[in-house]
Amino acid sequence: MRRKILVNVIGVLLAFLLGALVMLFQGYNPLETYFRLFQYSLSPGKITYTLSNSVPLVLTGLSASVAFASGAINLGQPGQLLIGALFATVGGLYLNLPQVLMIPTLLILAMVGGALWSGIAAVLKYWFNMSEFITTLMLNMIADYFTYWAITYPFFEKNANHPQTPLINQSGWIPEWGNFNTNILVMILAFVVIWFIVNRATAGYEWRISGQNSLFSRLGGVNISKNYLAVMLLTGALAGLAGGMVVMAGPHRFIKDIGANYAWDGVMIAMVANTDIVLTLVYGIFFGILQTGAVGMELITAVPKELIQVLQAVIVLIVVSGRVYFESLFASFEARRRMRERVA
Amino acid sequence: MNVIIGLINGMISSATPILLAALGGSLTFYAGIFNIAMEGMMLSGAFFAVLGSYYFHSWPLGILFAILGALLMALIFILFAVVLKMDEFITGIGLNLFALGLTTYLLEEIFNVRGMFTSPQIVPVPSIDFPLIENIPVIGEILSGQNLIVYLAFLATILVHYLDFKTRFGLRLRAAGYNRTSLDTSGISANRVRIWSLILCAVLCGLAGAFLSLGVITGFTKGMSAGKGWISLAAVILVSGNPTGIALISLLFGFTDGLGLFMQQSLPSQFTSMVPYLATLVALFIYSFRLKKKQMV
Repeated sequence: MRRKILVNVIGVLLAFLLGALVMLFQGYNPLETYFRLFQYSLSPGKITYTLSNSVPLVLTGLSASVAFASGAINLGQPGQLLIGALFATVGGLYLNLPQVLMIPTLLILAMVGGALWSGIAAVLKYWFNMSEFITTLMLNMIADYFTYWAITYPFFEKNANHPQTPLINQSGWIPEWGNFNTNILVMILAFVVIWFIVNRATAGYEWRISGQNSLFSRLGGVNISKNYLAVMLLTGALAGLAGGMVVMAGPHRFIKDIGANYAWDGVMIAMVANTDIVLTLVYGIFFGILQTGAVGMELITAVPKELIQVLQAVIVLIVVSGRVYFESLFASFEARRRMRERVA
Repeated sequence: MNVIIGLINGMISSATPILLAALGGSLTFYAGIFNIAMEGMMLSGAFFAVLGSYYFHSWPLGILFAILGALLMALIFILFAVVLKMDEFITGIGLNLFALGLTTYLLEEIFNVRGMFTSPQIVPVPSIDFPLIENIPVIGEILSGQNLIVYLAFLATILVHYLDFKTRFGLRLRAAGYNRTSLDTSGISANRVRIWSLILCAVLCGLAGAFLSLGVITGFTKGMSAGKGWISLAAVILVSGNPTGIALISLLFGFTDGLGLFMQQSLPSQFTSMVPYLATLVALFIYSFRLKKKQMV
């Protein structure tokens, strides 16, 4: 466990070092830049805001982690997020229930939307054996244009000068307690449920075994295609939930490009976390800290906030490649230490 | 008549970037690399093409920069996937997002704009007119007057076909994918062959990128490769890497793209833009359907 933490910390530090070199090369002060970044996102007044920003990252990260660990190459989180956001928005525009009913209804709608979109890919694989890897990618582009159409024509807000829907009914807004946005609670709930399913429930065990060795699990009596469908629907629902949260906790309407890069960031988080559920939460929040801090960094030091996007990709590449390398290094240290003990 | 000529020319120009990237993908496919980084290579190529053309006011340097930009991505892929033996899938995804981040960052850092950069100082790649052919009615309007990179893509198709099937390198390339241990034991480093295939792939993707930002449109838009690298990956998978098949399937995808533009009179543009992605899904569907039939016989 300690080794796992060390590998991740070293990888992240190496990536930061590389980022610092890039900044030095361009004449920025890297120490000040990093200081401003963390100062902005971790200051007492901002920390709940940072956590709230990391909600879509953690949710899409969980979606990708569960999918990859179960051997389903669901890369459709961007599309599932958008469709989920659209479903929540449309529900929020036409339904008007008391808040206690409204919020769960919209969250369920968002999950249904995401699951519907991932379900298309799942069905194509189930019936026609089409690789979900490419179909989900194509569905992403289709979802992108479809939601763009939806907010330009049927759900367009009149008098707006760029494509967006009107505000959803106020009872569907995720409540804020002072500085504390309660979307954080939804994230924690989702995390606990997913952690429990993956680590404690039979279904999660079957999924993980199918991901590691599908032949072994089939011989052990696991119904592979049923599990595959379940994983695709669940991960789609998670991505859709992320979309719903973005609308309901953020601008309260569907704006063009509302999905930002959340879903792809989630895919990166799953890869850097090696599909571990707890690490997914940690990296999701960490990426949230980086992205929130980037705004402050840009305000004070003039380093463009897009640098963080580069840094994130570098972190993924270095941590993942380093994991294999460091782990073999530690193993050889360990072996040498044991040998010395034997000799003594 | 003009409509048909327009459709065919639209088909050719939409097919060109897909064809070039897919030819690169064909080389890595034969070398046994699960290369999904074409999207990132193309995007990086498109950005550096604009950079080169803008600063040196010359399109040949734009193309050169595009190739260098794509090569940068290929080198990172080689470092992680071949040297450090990291998972090719993770490397590819990481690299595509790295390319997206890097180009947006540099766009802001160098040109001080967000999202889009265009300037009259960017010199586009010229179209080529052939003196005699251009006077032939109908055919002349198609065969002549295309962008230089379109002709390069045509040449590249023949070259890649020749390279894959008629040269010693092609034999080794396919051996690296088919059975790399046997290639290693016969005294040729499979890794070296794989590295060369990635470098050639980057050159082709760089050209594809240059066509995007210096061909039809002059200028760079954030994420302008818009899934074309993924479509080209689908094209490679559909025909198992065969260059001639890739050329045909790219033209088919290009045709649907042109058709989409044509349908804009009656449908909202968002739906017509979906057409190439839907076409990819349909093509994959037919492919798996035929595969299933074959297995049942």
